[in-house]
Order: sequence, then structure tokens, then C-alpha cells
Amino acid sequence: MSLFFQQLINGISLGSVYGLVALGLTLVFGVLRIPNFSHGALYMVGAYVTYFSLTSFGLPYIVAIAISAVVLAGMGVVLERLVFHPLRDMPHTHAMIGSIGVLLFLTSGAQLLFGADFRRLKSPLEGSISLFGIGINQQRLLVIVTSLVVMAGLYLFLKKTVPGQTIEAIEQDRVGASLVGIDANRVSMMTFAISAALAAVAASLVAPINLISPTMGDVVNLKAFAIIILGGMGSVPGAIIGGFALALAETFGSTYVSSDFGELVGFLFLVVVLAIRPSGLFSKGV
Amino acid sequence: MLSRNWKTFAVVGLVVLGALLPVLIRNPYFLSVIMISYTWAIAVYGMNVLLGYTGQLSLAQAGFFGIGAYTVGVLTVTYEMSFWISLVAAVVLSSAVGFVVGLFALRTRNEYFAIFTLGVGIVIFLVIEKWESVTGGRLGLIGVPYPEPLTELSHLYYLIFAFLLLTIYVVASISRSLVGRGFVAIRNSEDLARATGINVGTNKQLAFVISTGLAGLAGALYAPNIGFLGPAIANVPITFNMLLYLLVGGLGSLSGPLVGALLVATLQQFLQQFQEYQLVIFGPILVILIIFFPSGLAGLWHRIGNRLASRRAGSHTEESEGEEEPTKMTPTKETR
Amino acid sequence: MSNRVFRVALGVIVLVLMSGLAVACGGGGGSGDGGSGKQTVNIGYSGPLSGPAALYGENALNGVKLAVDEINKNGGVDVDGTATEFKIEALDDKYLPNEAATNARRLAQQSETPVVFVPHSGGIFAVQGFNAKPPTEFILAAYSSVPEILEADNPNTIMIPPRFDNYMEPFVKTEMDKFGKKLGLIPTKSEYGIQWTKQVTAEWEKQGGEVLKNNGVDYTSTTDYASPVTQALNEDPDVLFVGGPSQPTALVIEEARKRGFEGGFIVMDQAKFEEMETFTDKKNLNGSVGVFPTIDYPGPGTDQFVKYYEEKIGGERPPTSEVALNYQAMHIIAQAMADAGSVDDPKAIMEAVDGAAGEIKDEYRPYGIDGMTDDGHLNGPVIATQVEDGKYTELKVPQDQ
Repeated sequence: MSLFFQQLINGISLGSVYGLVALGLTLVFGVLRIPNFSHGALYMVGAYVTYFSLTSFGLPYIVAIAISAVVLAGMGVVLERLVFHPLRDMPHTHAMIGSIGVLLFLTSGAQLLFGADFRRLKSPLEGSISLFGIGINQQRLLVIVTSLVVMAGLYLFLKKTVPGQTIEAIEQDRVGASLVGIDANRVSMMTFAISAALAAVAASLVAPINLISPTMGDVVNLKAFAIIILGGMGSVPGAIIGGFALALAETFGSTYVSSDFGELVGFLFLVVVLAIRPSGLFSKGV
Repeated sequence: MLSRNWKTFAVVGLVVLGALLPVLIRNPYFLSVIMISYTWAIAVYGMNVLLGYTGQLSLAQAGFFGIGAYTVGVLTVTYEMSFWISLVAAVVLSSAVGFVVGLFALRTRNEYFAIFTLGVGIVIFLVIEKWESVTGGRLGLIGVPYPEPLTELSHLYYLIFAFLLLTIYVVASISRSLVGRGFVAIRNSEDLARATGINVGTNKQLAFVISTGLAGLAGALYAPNIGFLGPAIANVPITFNMLLYLLVGGLGSLSGPLVGALLVATLQQFLQQFQEYQLVIFGPILVILIIFFPSGLAGLWHRIGNRLASRRAGSHTEESEGEEEPTKMTPTKETR
Repeated sequence: MSNRVFRVALGVIVLVLMSGLAVACGGGGGSGDGGSGKQTVNIGYSGPLSGPAALYGENALNGVKLAVDEINKNGGVDVDGTATEFKIEALDDKYLPNEAATNARRLAQQSETPVVFVPHSGGIFAVQGFNAKPPTEFILAAYSSVPEILEADNPNTIMIPPRFDNYMEPFVKTEMDKFGKKLGLIPTKSEYGIQWTKQVTAEWEKQGGEVLKNNGVDYTSTTDYASPVTQALNEDPDVLFVGGPSQPTALVIEEARKRGFEGGFIVMDQAKFEEMETFTDKKNLNGSVGVFPTIDYPGPGTDQFVKYYEEKIGGERPPTSEVALNYQAMHIIAQAMADAGSVDDPKAIMEAVDGAAGEIKDEYRPYGIDGMTDDGHLNGPVIATQVEDGKYTELKVPQDQ
């Protein structure tokens, strides 16, 4: 039974990271209808920014995460202007291909700048605490708590603030939103900023329990896609639930079946779900 | 028409030149680079039928390439069957898997289709990688033999060259036929195509099966050429590579896949000293191409040719086929 | 129609242009300068220089480079009266076997390299398909410890590192005696890791131990090592088999220690203690067996080599066995060319390797290689290590028969 609870904690902490990454992806998709294949690369860049803020400038961990989020938000805006804005009226395939170009550029650029070495971000929280007889690593607890706080904050932002509501408005009805005077350009930039910042936070949180390298975003990227399809593309609660569902499926799949199965399960699930329900599990029926 | 005769003559001449390449180039390494470029080109032709003509981005192309390659690999290495039977089996199997996947994949549209096929591509890759008893897993398959009775590199060159010409011929015939026009109509607007009586579902399914079949054919030809198969050839980065070839050459044009594959694959070989910088450069090139020149080199050439022709003739005499000006593709306006 | 014709025409024109370019670029290598008695011979390398394995590829390449620099500085080797210097042609294969095959073909045919170094088993197997056949025969300097390389029976292959199956018996015995009979598995799932796992499993069972469930994951693509470690520890193993690239291996070990594991580790030879030390507290490594850190290796020329490495390459990264063994192999090959009196006859050079391995100066020998077996394996006494109280103590490994 202890194994079950241990793995539950592992699954939840992994799931909260997946959820954050998928949230950013799903927001951009909801507003712009673009599957941003470079999202995982932004995640990777976010980890490097945090790493260098910590090691080169000696900033505290939390400050480094905040800086990383701000830097990546800026990058998101730049990408929107340079790549996705010019492509907004072209066929969807064009924007997807553009995002693949960005992905290739960022991954190889990172390798050129930082080298292929693995890097390790030392966690400020090394100890572990005991809950109901299970030892929980403090960094993991930090991952879970921070993620939940960020998710709740995003939810409040989307529901309770005016800029947040403009995002929701555009997601739901593009034409109607422009009729009531919402500036689609501004919303689009804002969405990219938030999306990239979420990826940066997720990467910075996971970095201490993993390693930083130019290819660290590749796998997470693919998983985030599986998640937002499962959760219904564009759906915020769907991304969060999907993130936890995938992480738990992977963790328990590899615990009780086999590790190969754990690796495959997400994508199998994705293909099966889409085959049965082409628009995702929790899609709003558009 | 004089110019048509001249052009036919040019094509015949260049095909002859292609056929003479093994005699002209004594360097086996360079010949093998061209052979690999041809192989990629065949797979990219498949991608072009689906993306360039029909407007659907499939990210599983490398997966089907892998199915073709591994079919030949497993049949010739493990079961010691003839290459020719394996080749047929490879094309049949990749088309058949394509057919089944298409049944489900094509129920989705646009970005869902792209992501669904991405998932399919990853599943194919993972299955090849994990199914150790058949595919050799990560270790791969070693020693795929030359097709009987071929023994030399130049023989294999002719085999691949012949299949490349066949592919171009088939794709050209399709694009000129009613079916091809149906594809383009679907790319421009599914709803409009449906309104004019085109069976959108069947046509998309057909385009998808053609594209997977060509990927399988390419993979089957790749196997004896390299002699070794590893699961990485079925992985998503290979699909991205093919996409790069197609975009550089020209989306929706007949020469695009060949031009792109030859040019980029050869450049990638010759710029190997700059390996680290390659993708840093190719990434932005992809973005710039898709924003400013979505019709690639072929489109550029075509535009220059048009301008010259219209200046000389004083009038614009182009046939207006949908595929000619992909820049003018109208965005798919469907609300999902 | 006419436009299609034009475009096909364009395609073929490009093709012709490229072929012209290739012919123009071709034929670089082996530039002799007959009269003055000097020549430069190209040495090929194809390995991962980008992607997750780039670090490993750079290490292997650095080894060859260090040796070549040293040889050239001393005026080259004397091959049949001609002072012969070397030049390295390095190509990236992204760790992909098919790319390695293409590269090796290119190196041998374009740059006329008589020797090509390939530092990964997939690439080695791919190259073995054609390096001993006409039109172009060349020597494959294979850096990978997979024993199957020798089973290919390829007359032009030199296998450089100690074969990993020789580690099994002493590793298993040491750990089983010290910690107990239950072995948990958390290796990486690379092709290489899978081979190792099979051998360790077989040896552990042969010596009467019990092997638990395989919880291996791909070290380079895993987001969280906690879950496989938790699973493995749940079965209460005495010893864990781990390994992959050094840095993730260090994390797996650390994770196990954090969760209260007090047993030993069998560490795959891909992971290096000297690199792991920089990623995790050294006391986590106590009770492990693995390959000996190069810096302290008791070889005849290790000290000189380490000094030379620090001078030329330096930086934060310590020299590993990839650097040292490729360095030594390059010296041996150069000597073999001198002994054979030929730079481009693979057969003659291969025959001279066994003797050359014993002839090179001690300062060129960070490792104890002193000959080559008939099947093409560089051979000599091998020493592995067990970590005890933060110290690396010697562990003898049997040689090839």
C-alpha cells in the first residue's frame, strides 16, 4: 500500500507539471487555433533562464523563477509578432509549419549557446517530510503547491479580470468579440506571453528533480499535446485534469504493467480517444 | 507549339542525363547521396499529394516510411525472402495501415488531424522500437541485402531512379486528372468542394493512402541502400526533415519534392562541418519560407518564368490549375 | 503541362549542378608531397556531435585529436621513409546508425581516410556491413564495449574498449558477497543498456541470486526518475543495477539514497564515477562497482596523459576513459602504419596492430593495453573499481582468452 501512495505522490507532482505545460498550449490553441509545436522548446529555454539566474547572478530560487517567467513572456510576444501574426490569415497548416521552424531553431540554438551537457539545478529544499508514514521530498511538495497556486491564479485571471475575460471572449466567439471592440492583436500577444510564462514556471519547478538539456522539452511537448487533445483543445479545466490523468496513467501503468507500457499509454490513449471522439473528450462541442 | 517541343526535349534530355549519372559520377559516395535524396523525394511526393494538393498536414509520414523499410528489412533479413516480394509487401502493408489509420484520422480535421497523425507517428515509432523480437528493437536490423540480381551501387541507383520517375509520372497523372482537381478543391474549401458534388471523405482517404503508400515505397528502397535499419528512421524528426524538403522545393508543385530533397539533403551532407549551425539556419528558413514563399523554389521559378513569358508574349497564357499558385490558397474557413 | 516540364527540368538542373559541385569538392584526402618525403593522411571520425549524446561524442573525438596533435608536433610517424602526419575529418551522425554508415562511406571515399573512428555500437554494426568489401576497404576503429562487435568476424575492425561482458563476473560477485542476493534493475533503455541488462541478469542468476522486475526507463527522455526508483525499492533489493549517461545515473543513485536505499550499485560502464561526483554527493556512491576513474587509473602513462589533457582541453570536465582509450588507440594505429610501412593497406595495418600495441611509448598509454586478440580486440589488463568510504579501490577484471 505504501508503494501505491508513494506513486500517487509522484504521479501528482508530475501531473501538476504536465498540467502547467498543457495549460499554456491549450490557451494559445483556444485563442489562435494554432497547435504551437515550439511550446516544449519554450519550456526548455525557461529552464535555462532560471538556471543562469541562479548560478550566474546568485538569485534566490523563487526570484529566478519569476525572472524566467517574465523573460519567456517577452519571448512569447516576440514570437507572436514575428511568426504567428504574419501567418494568421493563411491556412492552418502554415502556422503549424512555422511553429516547427521555431522548435528546430530554439533547440539547436540552445545547444549552440549552452552546449549539449546536462546541467543540474540544485533545489533549495533538499529535505523531505513525513506524511502518514510516507516520506515526501520537499521539492515535490513545492512543485505541487506552486502549480496549484499558479493554476488557481490563472483561473481567477480568466474569470474575474477584464483582460482575462477578453481572452475567454475571443476563445468563445471571435466575431462577436471584435464587434464589441476587443483588440484581437493585444489578446493574441497576451495569450502567447502567458503561455510561455507558464511553460517557464513548469520547467523551473521540474528542473531540480530532473536535468536541464537542450532536448528536455521534446518529450514533454508531445505529452502536452496528448493532454490537450484528451482534455479538449482550448479547454482550461481539461488541460489540468488531462495533465493529472496522463501522469497518473503513466506512473501506475509502469508500476503495475510495465515501463514500456507506461511510455506508450499516453499516445495509445490519445489515438484511441480521437478515433472514437474526433474532437477530444471534454470538447465544448464546437 | 515550339516552346512545348523544346520543353519536352529538355525533359527527355534531363532524364537521359539522370540515367547517365552513374557513368558520369565515378564517386560512389556522391552517388549514394543522390540515391538517398531520391528516396526522400519519393516519400516527400507522398507528403505533397496530401499536404500540397489536398491541404492536410500528416505528421506520421516517417512512421509509414519506417513501416516500408522494416517490412523489407524483416522479410529479407529474418525470413530471407526475395527483395522484390518484400518491396510489394512493403507498399501493400504501408498502404493498408494507411487505409485503416485514414478511416479514423480523417474524421478529424485541420490541427486535430495534424496532432492525431503526430500521435500515430509516435505510436508507430514506439512499436518499432519496443517490438524487439521482430524489429531488433534499438539495436535495429543489420545487413539488409542488395536486391537479387543487383550487385553494384549503380544497379541500385537505376532501381531507385526508375521508381522515382514512376512516382513523378503517377503523381503528375493524378494531379492532372479529375481526382487531382478534386484534391485541390478540398484544399481550397472542403465545404465548397462538398457543395460541388465532390466526395470529400473518399478523396481525402485516397490522398492519404497514396501518401502512405509512397512513404512505404521510399522506405523499402531505403533499406537495401543503407543496409542497416534503426528505429530512428521512423521518428518524428524525420517527418520534420521531409517537411523542410517539401517547403524548400515548393508546396503543391510537381518538381518541388525532387528539387527540395536533392538540394537540402545534399546541402545537409556538404554542410556537415557546420552541423551545429544547420538547424539554427534551417529553422528560420522554414519560417521565412512559410510566411513569404510558401510555394518554395518551384513557385519562385514559376513566377519568374511567368513574368518572362508574359513579357515576351505580351499576354498571360498560363493554364490556371489550382496547384499552380499555392500562394493564393484561401485559408480554410471552416468553423470546427 | 509546360510548367511541369519546366519544373522537372529545374529539378534535374539542380541535380547536375550539385554533382558538379561534388566532383569539384571531391578528392581532397591523402595529399602526398612525394619529393620532400612528407605526407598527410586523413583520419575519419563519425559520432554524435549534436543532440543528447554530443558530450560523449566530443570526448571520443578529443581523444583522437590529442593523439594526432602529439604525433604531428613530433614530426609525424615514419612510414616507409615518408614522414606521415595526420589530419582529422570529423562528421556528426547524431548517434544514428544510418548516418554513421553514410558518413563512413563518405570519409573513406571522399577524404580517403584509411581509418574511421565510430564511438557507438549501432553505427559500428552499420559500418561493418561494408568496410571490409570492395570498392573501398578501410579500418573501423570501434569504440563500444558490446561483445557482438567481435562476433561479426569483420577483419577490418579494431575494438577499442574492454568488452563489457568481462565486467560481469567480478561486479556481480563483489556486490552479491557484500550486500545480498536480490538485484533490482533500473538501467537506461538504450540498445546498449538492454544488452548490459541481459548479461547482468544472466550472471546474477548464474551466481545464485534473484533478479527482480526490470524498472528500466530511457534516461535521456524521462521527466521524473522517482517513479521507477520507487518501484524498484518496493521489492526491497540488496543491490541495484543502474547506468546510462553519467549525469542521469547520478540522479537515479541520489534518488535511491534519498528514499533510504542502503545497498550497493552495479554501475554500467557508460556512467563514469568522475562525472557523477560532480552531480551528486560522493558518499551516495559508496558501495558501487563500476569502471575506474581515468584520473587515478593505474596505467603506465596515465599521469602524463592527464596532465596533457588538462593542458590542451582543461575546463570543468575531467578526462574520461572515452578520451583516454581513443587517444591510446590512435597512437597504436599510427605505430601500426609505421610498422606495416603502409598508410592505406588495411590488411597490412591490421596485422601490425598487435605488435604496435606493445611498442608505443609508455607515456602514450593511459591504459594497460599491450596487444590485440585475433578477433580484433585491443587487449590488456583491465582494472575496475569499487567505491569504499569515498575511495576508489581496484577490482581486477579478467582479460580476453
